[in-house]
Amino acid sequence: MSADRRPLLLMTPAMIWLFGLMVVPCALILVLAFFRRGLYGGIEYTWTLENLALVFDPLYFQIFLKSAGIAGLSAAIACVLGYAAAYAIAAMPRRHQPMLLFFAVLPFWSNYLVRTYAWIVLLNREGLIVNLARWVGYEGELPQMLYSEQAVVIGLVYNYLPFVILSCYAPLSRLNPEVNEASRDLGASAWTTFRRVTLPMTVPGIATGFVFVFVLSIGNFVTPALLGGGQFQMIGNLVYAQFLTANDWPFGAALSMVLIAVMLGLLMGQAVMADRASGGKGARDG
Amino acid sequence: MTHPFLSIRNVSKTFGSVRAVTDLSLDIAENEFFALLGASGSGKTTLLRMLAGFEDLTDGDILLEGSSIAELTPNRRPLNLMFQSYALFPHMTVTQNIAYGLEMDRLPKAETAARVSEILDVIQLGHLAKRKPDQLSGGQRQRVALARALVKRPKVLLLDEPLGALDKKLRSEMQLELKRLQHEFGITFIVVTHDQEEALVMADRIAIMKDGALLQVGTPHEIYENPGTRFAADFIGVMNFLPVSRTADGFAARDGSQMMSRGNAAPAGTPFVAAVRPERLRVGGTGDNSLTGEITALAYHGLDLLVHISTAIADAPVIARMTADEADGNAPVVGRQVTASWSAKDTHIFPE
Repeated sequence: MSADRRPLLLMTPAMIWLFGLMVVPCALILVLAFFRRGLYGGIEYTWTLENLALVFDPLYFQIFLKSAGIAGLSAAIACVLGYAAAYAIAAMPRRHQPMLLFFAVLPFWSNYLVRTYAWIVLLNREGLIVNLARWVGYEGELPQMLYSEQAVVIGLVYNYLPFVILSCYAPLSRLNPEVNEASRDLGASAWTTFRRVTLPMTVPGIATGFVFVFVLSIGNFVTPALLGGGQFQMIGNLVYAQFLTANDWPFGAALSMVLIAVMLGLLMGQAVMADRASGGKGARDG
Repeated sequence: MTHPFLSIRNVSKTFGSVRAVTDLSLDIAENEFFALLGASGSGKTTLLRMLAGFEDLTDGDILLEGSSIAELTPNRRPLNLMFQSYALFPHMTVTQNIAYGLEMDRLPKAETAARVSEILDVIQLGHLAKRKPDQLSGGQRQRVALARALVKRPKVLLLDEPLGALDKKLRSEMQLELKRLQHEFGITFIVVTHDQEEALVMADRIAIMKDGALLQVGTPHEIYENPGTRFAADFIGVMNFLPVSRTADGFAARDGSQMMSRGNAAPAGTPFVAAVRPERLRVGGTGDNSLTGEITALAYHGLDLLVHISTAIADAPVIARMTADEADGNAPVVGRQVTASWSAKDTHIFPE
């Protein structure tokens, strides 16, 4: 066996896996989106663009926009919190950093559902937060926390925060401390140094974290179902309903396709940006 | 009232239990090109970072033109540091890097632009003004780092191993270039280096640092020709050391022959070593002192020829330098017996 064929051979099992379990189902969904819904929930094999048109019907499209809003808000909050945490970790003595990162990511290794249920315990009417407020002596009316849009955002931020911490920590830990010192030496205050040197140099990490949280949030259906309490739907719930309750597979497929297209677009944009951020290094001999 | 331009007074720095700098005092004059020379761990970089404001003083004070700067944060000190890693801002162009410090001073835009383009001419990088640091060679980056610090016209420019990352040829060019720029801008330069040749070529005065203290301060000529200690003699240039013992009227080499030296006011302590530079030895000549031995190796450097002589009066081979002219007339041969001699005035005596 020649050496240049070896990589191909090593990649084959993974390729078969990806093709069989990703490409083929996605292709089926894609095709499904262009068929008509049968009278009693089946599929009628005649071509149509109605399903795609329905996605952009104001009734459904506003759910899209709503989902994007919640995902964007969650991603923005996660970026602020995650960047601050990553900054603090990167400022610690180097030998403590792996341990701190481990703790920051630890919740991520427990079950997603369990973590989401934990927020129900925290947020409900007789939950920990309400009891804590009473214990401190607050007698007034407390707003409904569980089963609200805010609860969904809290759940999404909490669940995906470790992604942002990791994606921001990477560029922050790679910063040459002398670059910050150079800024101070040239007359910049600590804040100006952060704004003009540290932040611009770590934007790719923030962008990566933002896109990850956004993409994972916009398609999420577990958190809105549990913490949103059916008060409103996100696009994931709508897809879920088409396949499992409304029995309108073609419309569910069309929604999925648009969602996947949005995600792919964002991920590709992020990849291009990350490539550009590290790209200059390859062309040093100019 | 006159006071020294820059005065470092009884400065100490400890990191935990490690003493990096111990009770160090030093005055530096205006427009002086001063070199802090020492091995790694000698405290020279710590001292430089204390001047720049990146390390607090454990003890002592630093005065610039008579007033203390010890409590000022780095951005408020009229000193600029050129970092060993250059520390250029990778996301900014050459122009933006150089303009950064002037923007911090809130200079008018027009003046900033004028000064940036002026200094780009000085470092001859005008054609690369729009490049990012990643797209520059090591030598170009070094010049941008220099320009970025110099453009602020600081009272003192601190340079941490400024030529360390350059190859040998570029380094010797830049040594003279730095000297020229220092003269042109009329700014006090303090350069930290471990390269003794660099210090000798560039500096008006050199301080040799060891274990957080100053061992000797002087002009390059003083330091080279009249080292104060054995360490300084060994650290700067090449030096032959010959063990000697104290006699009633001077010193004697291992074979009992008299070792004449410059001033016989022998320092206290035993035993002693005599020290002589390779270029002071004359192969085949006559002088106050001489040694005989076998040539074990020849090292040809183009500019000169170093003759290694194995002799009974020293453990390591003694090195004698011959110029090209000398070697042409009397070519040394490995394995041959040879005599080398030198003057009493070139013989230093140190406690072992």
